Amino acid sequence: MSTPPSGLNAERPLHRGRPATTRRAARRVRLLAILAVVGPGLIAGLSDDDPAGITTYSVLGARYGYRLLWVLLVSTIALILFQDLGARIGVVTRQGIAGLVRQRYGARAASVAIVALVAANVGTTAAEFAGVAAGAELFGLSRYAAVPAAALLVSALVLRGGFRGVQRVLLALSAVFVAYIAAGILAHPDWLAATRGLAVPSIPMTREAIVIATATLGTTLAPWGLAFIQSYAVDKRLTTGDLPYLRVDVITGAVLTGVIGFFVVVACAATLHPHGVRITDAAQAAQALEPLAGSLARDLFAGGLVGAALLAASILPLSTSYAVADLTGRPAALDDTPREAPLFYATFAGVTVVGATLVLIPGVPLVGVLVLTQVLNAVLLLPLLAFLYGIARDHELMGRFRATRAAAGPYLLAIAAIAACIVALGVSAIR
Amino acid sequence: MEGLVSVAGLAGGPVATIGGSEVGRLVDVVVRWGSGLYPAATGLVVRVGVRRAFVHAGQIAQMTSGGVELNSVRLDLRDFVRRPGEVLLNRDVLDHQLVDVDGARVVRASDLYLARVGQLYLLVGVDIGMRTFLRRLGPARLRRSVVPGLVIDWADVAPFTAPGARVRLREPHQRLRELHPGELADLLEDLGRAERRELLTSLAPETAADVLEEMATGELIEVLRDAAPEEAAALLARMEPDEAVDALRELADADRRALLAAMPAPTAAELTGLLAYPEREAGGFMTPHLVVAQLSDAVGAVLGRLRAEKEHATDIDAVVVVDDDGRLVDDVPLFDLLVADTADRMETLVGPPWPATVDVHAGLEQVVDKLTGNRSSSLLVVDADERPVGRILADDILDVLATARGRRWPWQQR
Repeated sequence: MSTPPSGLNAERPLHRGRPATTRRAARRVRLLAILAVVGPGLIAGLSDDDPAGITTYSVLGARYGYRLLWVLLVSTIALILFQDLGARIGVVTRQGIAGLVRQRYGARAASVAIVALVAANVGTTAAEFAGVAAGAELFGLSRYAAVPAAALLVSALVLRGGFRGVQRVLLALSAVFVAYIAAGILAHPDWLAATRGLAVPSIPMTREAIVIATATLGTTLAPWGLAFIQSYAVDKRLTTGDLPYLRVDVITGAVLTGVIGFFVVVACAATLHPHGVRITDAAQAAQALEPLAGSLARDLFAGGLVGAALLAASILPLSTSYAVADLTGRPAALDDTPREAPLFYATFAGVTVVGATLVLIPGVPLVGVLVLTQVLNAVLLLPLLAFLYGIARDHELMGRFRATRAAAGPYLLAIAAIAACIVALGVSAIR
Repeated sequence: MEGLVSVAGLAGGPVATIGGSEVGRLVDVVVRWGSGLYPAATGLVVRVGVRRAFVHAGQIAQMTSGGVELNSVRLDLRDFVRRPGEVLLNRDVLDHQLVDVDGARVVRASDLYLARVGQLYLLVGVDIGMRTFLRRLGPARLRRSVVPGLVIDWADVAPFTAPGARVRLREPHQRLRELHPGELADLLEDLGRAERRELLTSLAPETAADVLEEMATGELIEVLRDAAPEEAAALLARMEPDEAVDALRELADADRRALLAAMPAPTAAELTGLLAYPEREAGGFMTPHLVVAQLSDAVGAVLGRLRAEKEHATDIDAVVVVDDDGRLVDDVPLFDLLVADTADRMETLVGPPWPATVDVHAGLEQVVDKLTGNRSSSLLVVDADERPVGRILADDILDVLATARGRRWPWQQR
């Protein structure tokens, strides 16, 4: 479809050369505009620091000290690139990723991708509830009380909150991540070594190092986060005029995600790594911190874990609901009632109930479920990024907002880097 | 189901001559959005070896869910090149968004159905059912079976043009034009930029302006930015002034000036005058459209003046009566005018209760208090000399108060 020449520039800066009071007023207006747009980037970014993410960062710091911090930097850049792309596509096309893939690549490709996304999201939701359980148990609460309570809380929020209510609670929940920054500072890290680890890339050529580097990339740039931000931007009814502010929101969210990851890594690198403490999950990291950095650091770490798990446990079923409703062409909006959008809410309930139940049934091989989930997420990520790239370059869909050939370079580079990581991982697994 | 052919099922199916020898596989069905309600297939795109050939509809002996039978063995093996106005059902319509005019909603096509009428195959329906979508994911046999699910008559569908088309090829849908502007605004807000623009340009200019008035300001600004400046200016000029001013305030100074310059001078002057009032004051959200009468005017003459203001009917619920100095005397409801004798003078209709007014610089809260306290459908806005300058309608205030809607927590509903 052709796009006529437009005389009004959506991204034109405000007029220069006006009096100072007018400029101040313009700045205030711009700040208000940013605040009105805030949400998709912050929520989608920060929810990537979920229990699986915190675990990965903890293992990275405990096992390799500060050395692999650069992987986190690369992951953050990739997160900025693709979340910005997803949000932009959502705003311009008013469609989620599932609907667009169905339209551009066909019903089968979309269905395979969304079935994999649903399966991976159910597994990841179980991981989030497992994070709630582990965090609660650190405070002496039974998982049989904490997990159903968390599931009910999340469901009540989505059913009763409406778009604005949900967004406010999610943004408030995001504040728990400050706990990780505090825990990192309490651990008295070696800032010089941390800076060197961040700026100078190096990696031991071992299978374990490749696994943790790929896992860091995979946990930061999760398929569910990418699917979520696009649909959420659609649901928020952002317009192309909001795109500059949305970019600020996305960059802020991604940088905060990276900063929190950085403090988790340095907390573990400063305390657990010198003592050779091996951990396998975030709850163990919290416990291991206590004798080395004090009980406050332990409590902050555990509190952060519960908050992060709750945030992600709200986002994952939502991301799934958006994708399923979008794939099948059904209504998908938080301001719709369950009667108006039955599939949307049924999917939310289904994912929440199955995810929570998996954690509560004794004998369920949760570790196996989580490993399978990670594999599915890794397998799904590449085609999803390729779909996003293809859609962003499609003139019919994006019009004048299409990614130019020059702008497409960084995306291709990021896709190639992720593909290389996954191939290296595959090769090391075969050996 | 006999008689209906599934487009999704046909794709990839065999194309054979009457003798039964297969010549290729079906890629797509070509149609043109004509003025008729049910567009006819004009041909097929068939994969023959490595080529994609065009087969004219006249060569089709029959199409069934099992495949296509041709009445001729002669094929033009030149590669198919889409001509202007041609739409490929598989590529451009299936799995794409469409507007269900009857339900006033955006839907996604799970399948399309063709039916034979005489020598033509007409596109008669679109299936939006989930089961139909799932059926397509199964093996070929299941895919080709036609079990209609949630089918919408094609006459109730407004499709979009083929990608890259430079002109709109389908006549605007009659029933689309009959929808309420609010319903059309909701539809537009659910569509992507290109589709939104196409739907909007298919509407009559007056309807398009009414629809824009119903849209959220952010969405409206996006529509204006996507349009050429002259087109955006024409749309704004047709909108009610208070709504147009709301939109203009949101634009950058240079864009606002460009739009005002492209409008007819009187409209631009009126809007510029309104823009001078601060946004949160009565003058900033009033409509300047008033029907004003002198005390000595005859009722019949005033009724004639009202007829001339037909296009602003929704903004007029009373006639303002002023004295010789132009100062407000009364606001006479339309009902009183209707039941009065046409020979009567306006002064006979003047009397208590006197109309509620607000100062042009009154704040929103004061306006709401006055309107709710007075229980009237509108408030007159007057300047410091008690001269009427505009009117604030209750529905404008409703828009402001409606922002509280959607707050579902008890503490938000206060």
